[in-house]
Amino acid sequence: MKLVNHINELIKIKINENKNIVLFGQNINAGSCLSGLTKGLDVKKNNIIINTQNSENSLVGMGFGLMLQNVSSIFFMKQLDFLLLSIDQLVNTYNIVRANRIKASFTIFPVTVDSGFEGPQSSLNNLDDFCSIAGVDGYSMSNYFDSQSIVDKHLIRNGFRIITAGQKDLNKDFIKIKPIKEDHNGNFFQYKIGSLVTILCFNQSISYGLEFTNRITEKGFSSSLFSINSHSIFDYSEIIKDIEKTKQVIIIDDTKSRNKTSTNFINSMLDKKIIKKHFYINRLFSIETLYPCKDNLNIDYEKYIIDLIAE
Amino acid sequence: MKSIIKNIVWLRLAQLKINDYYKLGYFKIPIHLALGHETIAVCVNKIMNKNDHILLSHRNIHYNMMATKKIKLELNEFLLKKNGLANGKLGSMNLSNKDKNIEYSSSILGNNLPVACGVTLGKKIKKTKGITIVVTGDGAIEEGSFYESLLFAKSLNLPLIFLVENNEWSLGTSIKERRCPIDLSKLSKSLGMYYSCLEGNDPYKYIIELNKIKKQSIKNNCPSIIEVKLKTLGYWIKQDEDNPHGRFINYHAGPARELKENDFPLIEKSLYDPIFVIKKYVSKEVLIDLTKNIQKEINREML
Repeated sequence: MKLVNHINELIKIKINENKNIVLFGQNINAGSCLSGLTKGLDVKKNNIIINTQNSENSLVGMGFGLMLQNVSSIFFMKQLDFLLLSIDQLVNTYNIVRANRIKASFTIFPVTVDSGFEGPQSSLNNLDDFCSIAGVDGYSMSNYFDSQSIVDKHLIRNGFRIITAGQKDLNKDFIKIKPIKEDHNGNFFQYKIGSLVTILCFNQSISYGLEFTNRITEKGFSSSLFSINSHSIFDYSEIIKDIEKTKQVIIIDDTKSRNKTSTNFINSMLDKKIIKKHFYINRLFSIETLYPCKDNLNIDYEKYIIDLIAE
Repeated sequence: MKSIIKNIVWLRLAQLKINDYYKLGYFKIPIHLALGHETIAVCVNKIMNKNDHILLSHRNIHYNMMATKKIKLELNEFLLKKNGLANGKLGSMNLSNKDKNIEYSSSILGNNLPVACGVTLGKKIKKTKGITIVVTGDGAIEEGSFYESLLFAKSLNLPLIFLVENNEWSLGTSIKERRCPIDLSKLSKSLGMYYSCLEGNDPYKYIIELNKIKKQSIKNNCPSIIEVKLKTLGYWIKQDEDNPHGRFINYHAGPARELKENDFPLIEKSLYDPIFVIKKYVSKEVLIDLTKNIQKEINREML
């Protein structure tokens, strides 16, 4: 089963547990229904579906207006970069609305265009920038269990947030690796516990982390594996505890932003002076990211692993 | 009739009082006075009922003051005091008042228009029968959000009035200086919306027209545009070495420097001054008496 179909099922279940929700966005109930993400939404329990016009700025403003009337809504969006048109509302309107005692939920659910073949659009492959500009809560999903948890916890709850999944992962069969620990708020998930190294995967980079753990296991060692699903700063103490044991860290972040959530983490970790060795696998914006191409991190896994074992 | 006239005079005097504080440099925040906008604010306030809501822009002092008729609440808010209208947390440009159905005010040009669509849709979903009015200006209708919101309001059949206060100015440039004309009557017609133009500051004509548009919009679930042609009064001519022949200053924010409280608060002898217009309904003597009484009332409140 593809991840998009799995998330679609989760969305339908969650919506049907609630009532009087306004579901809106372009083509959400027409055509391919955002490549299947919103397929089969129905209008049980007085839910309303609106296939809207193409006006992202106004549609985000409208979601906040609904909140002022204590009406909950979800704005499904085909591409994260469309949300660029809404920055005024994300900052200025949200800052006013959040100061009120609102008893409604507003979620924006865009798909992050991260396959690379869209060219210039895919230079924006993360929520970090959006969440940073106004302290917006944001969550990324990349597999069976984290999407289950995040949809359940955050799709419909009082307040505002952005939830996304990467286009690259959505169209693949989902990864089904059960977490051994998860933060109560869905900020992070721990999938493995080990002693050689702690691997932290930011944004949509869990598949690279899994590759690391598999290769480390093949060499007779073990590693801890976390995915960081929140794009906001949160309490890192559970993760720090693991690093205190392994003393070695690999941080993987596939965002092209200059404003990465992972840098906040690194700063807080370095302050604690608990690390013997750390590798930060990330990338900076480059002109190549503007052209259509396969958009993967090129990682020399063996080089890093040998270095870690030598320590 | 008396209450309408009294409210117009009160709103003028209350703003002049705020202006006096402004000239003395008491405010840390920018405030956009609305001298000359009194009639429309009084009339909108008059037609609003408990199921009606209004969303405002950065120039909102006239609507907010009419809703409470308490100058001290407003003044304390501008001074960012805890006993201000919003506990000193909203200041001027974002000042709203949920208790009086002022749902939201935005300091950002055109920002309140889509929010108004959401508020109106929310009311419709909750089956609240009432009108929503969103106040905007001739500058904000240049923003994309204006067009987007018109489309949205019409597509979803929302009883929403876009009230455009057209004072000709955006910061320091007039319409002629910055853009081609926008014919709102043609734009509204092209979208199948109602349109009305208010000009001349006659409060009784305004109330009749506002009520008519409100009823039409609610009955037919159809948005409307009401264009109000007015002047923001209190401008002055700057004359110095750089401007030997004088330069017209239409202040955007800031005090109206040359105005002060007066026995008779007329600013301009034209139909652009609501005080000038109401003279056709009451004599100058009655207006002077009314002014004195209201000034006493305001001074009592200020103590």
